[in-house]
Amino acid sequence: MASVKLKNIHKEFNGVKILKGIDLDVNDGEFCVFVGPSGCGKSTLLRIISGLDDASSGEIEIADKDVTHADPIDRGIAMVFQSYALYPHLTVRDNIGFGLSLAKRPKNEINERVNTAAKMLQLEALLDRKPKDLSGGQRQRVAIGRAIVRNPEVFLFDEPLSNLDAALRSKMRLELTELHAELNATMIYVTHDQIEAMTMADKIVVLNAGHVEQVGTPMELYHHPKTPFVAGFIGSPKMNLFEGQTAQEHGADIYGIRPEHLTLSTQTGKWQGVIKHIEHLGADVIVHIQVQALGTLVARADGDFAVTTGSEIYATPQQGREHFLSK
Amino acid sequence: MKSSRSYPYWFILPSGLIYLVLFLVPTVTAFWFSLTQWDLFETRFIGLENYSQFFQEPFLITGAVNTVVFGAVTSIAKSILGLLLAVLLTSGLLGQSFLRTLIFFPVLVSTVGIGIAFTEIMHPARGMINVGLSYLGIHGPAWLIDPHLALFSVALVDVWKGVGLATLIYIAGLATISSDYYEAARIDGATKLQMFFRITVPLVRPATVTVVTLSLISGLRSFDLIWAMTKGGPGFSSDVLASVIYKQYQAGFYGLSTAGNIILFVLVALIVVPLTYWFNRREVDL
Amino acid sequence: MKRQQVIIGIVALVLGVLLFATPFMFIGITAVKSAAEASHLGLSLPSKWLFWENFMAVIKARNYMLLLAYFNSTVITVGAISLLAVSAAMIGYVIQRRPSKWNGFIYALILAGLMIPPAVVPTIWLLKELHLFKTLHGMILIQVAYGLSFSVLLFRSFIASIPRDLDEAAIIDGAKPWQVFFKVILPLLKPITITVVLVQSVTIFNDFTNPLYYLPGKDNVTVQLTLYNFQSQFSSQMNLLFMNILLVTIPPLIMFIFFNKQIVKGMTAGAVKG
Ligand SMILES: Nc1ncnc2c1ncn2[C@@H]1O[C@H](COP(=O)(O)OP(=O)(O)OP(=O)(O)O)[C@@H](O)[C@H]1O
Ligand SMILES: [Mg+2]
Repeated sequence: MASVKLKNIHKEFNGVKILKGIDLDVNDGEFCVFVGPSGCGKSTLLRIISGLDDASSGEIEIADKDVTHADPIDRGIAMVFQSYALYPHLTVRDNIGFGLSLAKRPKNEINERVNTAAKMLQLEALLDRKPKDLSGGQRQRVAIGRAIVRNPEVFLFDEPLSNLDAALRSKMRLELTELHAELNATMIYVTHDQIEAMTMADKIVVLNAGHVEQVGTPMELYHHPKTPFVAGFIGSPKMNLFEGQTAQEHGADIYGIRPEHLTLSTQTGKWQGVIKHIEHLGADVIVHIQVQALGTLVARADGDFAVTTGSEIYATPQQGREHFLSK
Repeated sequence: MKSSRSYPYWFILPSGLIYLVLFLVPTVTAFWFSLTQWDLFETRFIGLENYSQFFQEPFLITGAVNTVVFGAVTSIAKSILGLLLAVLLTSGLLGQSFLRTLIFFPVLVSTVGIGIAFTEIMHPARGMINVGLSYLGIHGPAWLIDPHLALFSVALVDVWKGVGLATLIYIAGLATISSDYYEAARIDGATKLQMFFRITVPLVRPATVTVVTLSLISGLRSFDLIWAMTKGGPGFSSDVLASVIYKQYQAGFYGLSTAGNIILFVLVALIVVPLTYWFNRREVDL
Repeated sequence: MKRQQVIIGIVALVLGVLLFATPFMFIGITAVKSAAEASHLGLSLPSKWLFWENFMAVIKARNYMLLLAYFNSTVITVGAISLLAVSAAMIGYVIQRRPSKWNGFIYALILAGLMIPPAVVPTIWLLKELHLFKTLHGMILIQVAYGLSFSVLLFRSFIASIPRDLDEAAIIDGAKPWQVFFKVILPLLKPITITVVLVQSVTIFNDFTNPLYYLPGKDNVTVQLTLYNFQSQFSSQMNLLFMNILLVTIPPLIMFIFFNKQIVKGMTAGAVKG
């Protein structure tokens, strides 16, 4: 059982508190995604789980063993780096087999396991190449192969797709999801891309400024964000968030409504405003509306909804889709 | 896993220990030995007597002055000639890569060999230089025999041998200057000379710092060329601190020799450290 | 190429050859002359080419001293280089990768090694105490100590360009610190290692001052020392002296022909802000 438990993890760099008490349970076989803005401490937390960095205080358990002070190799983890970190002087085969050869496994066992991993990732034809002769997507696969081959209980990924172009990224997202299903291993995946988080995760952990904002399934976070930060972070375009009267009427600090949960009409509605700006996305259209009482309101409408800049429009929030948040 | 575990300090040990024992320990103990009369077995503390002797003997003082003159002359000449040659040899001349190679080669050749060869080349009557000059109707000087000239003759050979390195350092430095600057200046109507002084000279500064510092350090410490060519002569006219240190050592004045050593390294530090500091302060920010 | 460039080029070539090639021609020609002709110090061609005779005379001089000298110089150079290359890389690696409050101090020590002239007599005293004086291995250690700073700086700046992720990937793969260095980092240092080896071997092979102080005695002569000793012995046989210079010039010439680029790269490192 390879669950990961973090208990009250703190981390300081030169007196600056980067992680401020992280408690977290990742269950066996779960695909868990850490999201949060740049600099919030995602990589730091991942590196502490991997054992590359020590926590300033707190405890880490992997597979019910206390590994707080264990070396990376004794934690049963494997890691895929954003830069791939392939060894430039070794062939693909030797890159993948590097860890096994350090562990002094017999030659034929190494060969067999490398071949199995290569097959899984369609790398068989590339085994004798050097990393510099590979494309970005192929390098990515080799990096994953290097992780797979060791049969780790927990996989750690630090923004593994961020160096790929958009098309390749969505392909790799799918492949990683399939890989997870196939290996049935625990995976912890860091990204600041909320689409990756939403599409891949069993569980999302939203981090902000060194603490956990909320933990939940993608849909839980989408439908029931507990804090304004999570509400604003998950979903695109961002949820409209307003302080003031509307919120106070419901005893909250902040009122939120997602752009896709506003109904637009040219005749009547709750809020009246003027269209400032329109973004056509094809299937959808994003409308920016200047509302006197609120400020700017962003709404998503059907792609063929005919509107023009400068015209008047009414927006109405859908029943039961409103969020009332406290700070 | 902290960096203390991943990057253990014992990696420094093997040669760090050699460095400590064979370089740092002698350097530090030199301060003590320079205050003694010393025959390698027994020391007798005599305070600053070695130093006062050093500054009373005129030939020892000549040595100190010559050291500074030699260091200054060679490093200034190398940096000016090096820069000019670098500009010349990056201007797309016929045969410029051959010339670069030709000028650089002496850098790699044995200094003693060069010194011996040039002692003959600078022979006042039969040497190649003066024979060549006589074809032009010039009566060449007595390069190494003339006490007023000997040090500068050696300096000339040092520049000849070392200018290739300065040139290549400048060529590397010039390569980092974007051609945009020159194009912008051309559009502003700058002449070639203006471009040289307003763009090349200021922007090639890191190379200048390297050339001047390297040639100063090696010039102030220079021993083998002087020893191979003049042995400090005629008289003591071309003695430098490094040759004085050797002569005192040969004569068995170990304390005095070590005092000379301390004076040399104080001199190097006094000249090079402030200079580097000054160079770095006036860095051009790009 | 413009006409102007061709003309300036020709002028520069003539001047360059005159100033920089004639001294070597002089060495070469004098080396194959007879003693009488050589004493004229001219550039005229020899009436008889005595390459082989002079060559053998120099080799045989003082009971084959030059051969011993070549042997000693080679032992010193190879020994010092092998020690230097690996251990300087290790030091450059640790100080580049491991920031600490000691770094300033370590840098000061490294710069001291570049700048401060060695204190010779105390070094001799110390070598005697350690029974290393007048020994080849003592000389090897001296060359390591004196060449260390320069080599460490070259390695350090090269290692700075190797991403730290590689070290960490290896650690995750279960590598011990020494395995990270020897299996992952060291293989990547090949280009800079070649540079360090070339530059240092030229320096050590050509070194005259240090063997003069630390390696006196007939059995320990190095190539540069024989040259110096022959200077007084052959003062009336200029041809043999110059044959010796010629022979001493050959190893760096060979290096130069094969590795010109790497040598230049190492020697000019630092021009581009380092
Ligand atoms: N070794 C270190 N020394 C000092 N500060 C550090 C160190 N590593 C990280 N930090 C700081 O810790 C904070 C969190 O960094 P971290 O790399 O974990 O962010 P992140 O969430 O991964 O961001 P990104 O999405 O940009 O990768 C940053 O402010 C960073 O500057
Ligand atoms: Mg990160």
